[in-house]
Amino acid sequence: MASSSSSGITFKLHPLVIVNISDHYTRLKAQTLHSGESSSCAPPSNGGTAGSAPPAPPRVFGCVIGVQRGRTVEIFNSFELLFDSKTHTLDRAFLEKKQELYKKVFPTFYILGWYSTGSDVEEADMLIHRSLMDINENPIYVLLNPAIIHSQKDLPISIYETELHVIDGNPQLIFVKSSYNIETVEAERISVDHVAHLKPSDGGSAATQLAAHLTGIHSAIKMLNSRVRVLHQYLVAMQRGEIPLDNSLLRQVLSLLRRLPAIESEKFQDEFLMEFNDTLLMTYLAMFTNCTGTMNDVVEKFNIAYDRHSRRGGRTAFI
Amino acid sequence: MAAAMETVESLVAHIQALTKPEDVAQLHSLLKQSQSDEALRSQAPHLAPLLADLDPAKHSLGYLYLLDTYLYSSISREQVAAFLPSIARFLNTCSAYHIRFASDKFISVCRCFKDQVMRQQTPIQGIIPLRSAVQKLQNSSEQLTTLHSDFLLLCLLAKCYKPSLCILENDIFEAENPKDLFLFYYYGGMIYIGLKRFSKALECLHNVFTSPMANLNAIAIEAYKKYILVSLIHSGQVPPFPKYASATAQRNLKNYAQAYLDLTTAYATGKHSEIEACIQQHIEKFQSDNNLGLVKQVLSSLSKRNIQRLTQTYLTLSLQDISNSVQLNGSKEAELHVLHMIQDGEIHATINQKDGMVIFHEDPEEYKTCQMVNQMDLSIQRLMSLSKKLTAIDEHISCDPAYLTKIGRERTKYEFDDFDSVPPKYL
Repeated sequence: MASSSSSGITFKLHPLVIVNISDHYTRLKAQTLHSGESSSCAPPSNGGTAGSAPPAPPRVFGCVIGVQRGRTVEIFNSFELLFDSKTHTLDRAFLEKKQELYKKVFPTFYILGWYSTGSDVEEADMLIHRSLMDINENPIYVLLNPAIIHSQKDLPISIYETELHVIDGNPQLIFVKSSYNIETVEAERISVDHVAHLKPSDGGSAATQLAAHLTGIHSAIKMLNSRVRVLHQYLVAMQRGEIPLDNSLLRQVLSLLRRLPAIESEKFQDEFLMEFNDTLLMTYLAMFTNCTGTMNDVVEKFNIAYDRHSRRGGRTAFI
Repeated sequence: MAAAMETVESLVAHIQALTKPEDVAQLHSLLKQSQSDEALRSQAPHLAPLLADLDPAKHSLGYLYLLDTYLYSSISREQVAAFLPSIARFLNTCSAYHIRFASDKFISVCRCFKDQVMRQQTPIQGIIPLRSAVQKLQNSSEQLTTLHSDFLLLCLLAKCYKPSLCILENDIFEAENPKDLFLFYYYGGMIYIGLKRFSKALECLHNVFTSPMANLNAIAIEAYKKYILVSLIHSGQVPPFPKYASATAQRNLKNYAQAYLDLTTAYATGKHSEIEACIQQHIEKFQSDNNLGLVKQVLSSLSKRNIQRLTQTYLTLSLQDISNSVQLNGSKEAELHVLHMIQDGEIHATINQKDGMVIFHEDPEEYKTCQMVNQMDLSIQRLMSLSKKLTAIDEHISCDPAYLTKIGRERTKYEFDDFDSVPPKYL
């Protein structure tokens, strides 16, 4: 039902929209889960999603708003909508009211389309899509897949447009997938960064902060290492002739290599090694203290266990 | 007689046949059985030519058994002496896997070898074979065997210290026999003193008298005396007993080392005359303990220590002033002393011969080099493995019944329902 779009429109998605959708979904999921535990049967999900595991998570619906300039569509914000599962329509009056309110604050924003959650596009979505067509002739449908797949590295968000295709002699509207870019405003970048680095609640202590910091650096370096390795393997394969030569790629690699080494001078070496050795010394000191502590424990226990004339009394249980 | 000879020959044939690793166990049981046979022992004096037939590298186990029977039978000293080269060859070339099946026989063969070499007054002959023997007998470089102390003794007698360093530098984590341990570290300390590596010597001697012991032993006393002298040479003072020294040692060692403790107090004053007087007073004691050489070194170390103290006060100093404050005889001698110390790395200075001034520097080591990185990395790795071992020992002791009984008796119960840290069965 979905194939890649050919409309030539570039979509720019703001992180705020993603956070909004995800928040809406999580809230509803938490609420239904909570109420589902007290009631005997799982609440039926709206939209008729095929939920394999009871209780099936509910689908959320809402509207996305933004600006369309020429061939660029920029989606700035979103708000939630109530979905009437019996008539399979969105609450129209609420939508209009919300639109008016937003118009007062953001006069340039239009309703660009709507969003929902789920793993794939559904039949019923077309109805909703058509109903929005009177506000915007070509609405977009933002779909968020709430399932957490650890191996998947991309964002589980897809943007669909509708196109008129002729299928079996009948012109039909079908959803086609479009590509999009993420566009961030400075405020959004800060908040996303903050959310990404959520520290544990007692993260005030220096040790956990240091550990978190070092883990971050370690994973960054690991990723850099794996990427360099991939490049290296690719180049070796190219050299051996297993892969056809790609001059543009080679030029990029060359320009990258020309930028290294960043600094190469004796003064830098000296400073670098001195700092390196300082860190090593600190590690050494830490290990020493650790070891001495253990040794102390061992000696005490040994003295208590085996020394014939050990100290009497005063010692409560070692825990 | 002929029958006995036959059994021996069949045994030799067996030894030559069973050379594969899987057969070694079988060979071992065969040999043990023949050991109890009288036949082998009666034939012992005639085993020499048979031994020439066997190859020590391939037939190590068989060779070992026959050799052992031969050496401990009633043969004369000259025969043993004549056999020495073959024993040496055996020790150098035998296979470690084989001999570990019969380690006590191996130890007795080595013992006999060492006794002979010492009797002949040529200890240097025995060093290399014994070293390979030690390396083959130990399961890992961290294990101490009985042969370790014999090997070090030979090195000391021959005054050849270099070959022993590779054995001494291993950290020991397992030992079978406390006497081995004491002897090993005592000899090791003496070897390091001979090499003038006083800090390592201190470590070794320290290990001797702080080892757990229920009763005082002579090795610990001697080690303690040397320890006092070496710590005076090295750092100018004797540290107090550490917590882990056994109570026996702490209480009784001082009684046997009174002369040395007097020397310590004299040294603390920092005056040559005092120390010399003290030495004269106890000179017979020092001589009988064979420590006079060390005592003389203590005396000469006094001037070194005084010069070192000067580096902390002055930036530059004239040679004349140095000789005055350290009580040396003239600036020439002072210059000689300072030169030696710079060469040994004990101080950092430059001597300006034109105006006879000495300029003291800071330690120029800035820890900027890659070698320093490697060195630190090695030390950190060593520490990490040590730390792992220590945690393992800690857990082990915590489960030890002796420890639990002692700890359980002293626990106090706060409430009736308080949990028992030690289950009652240990009390």
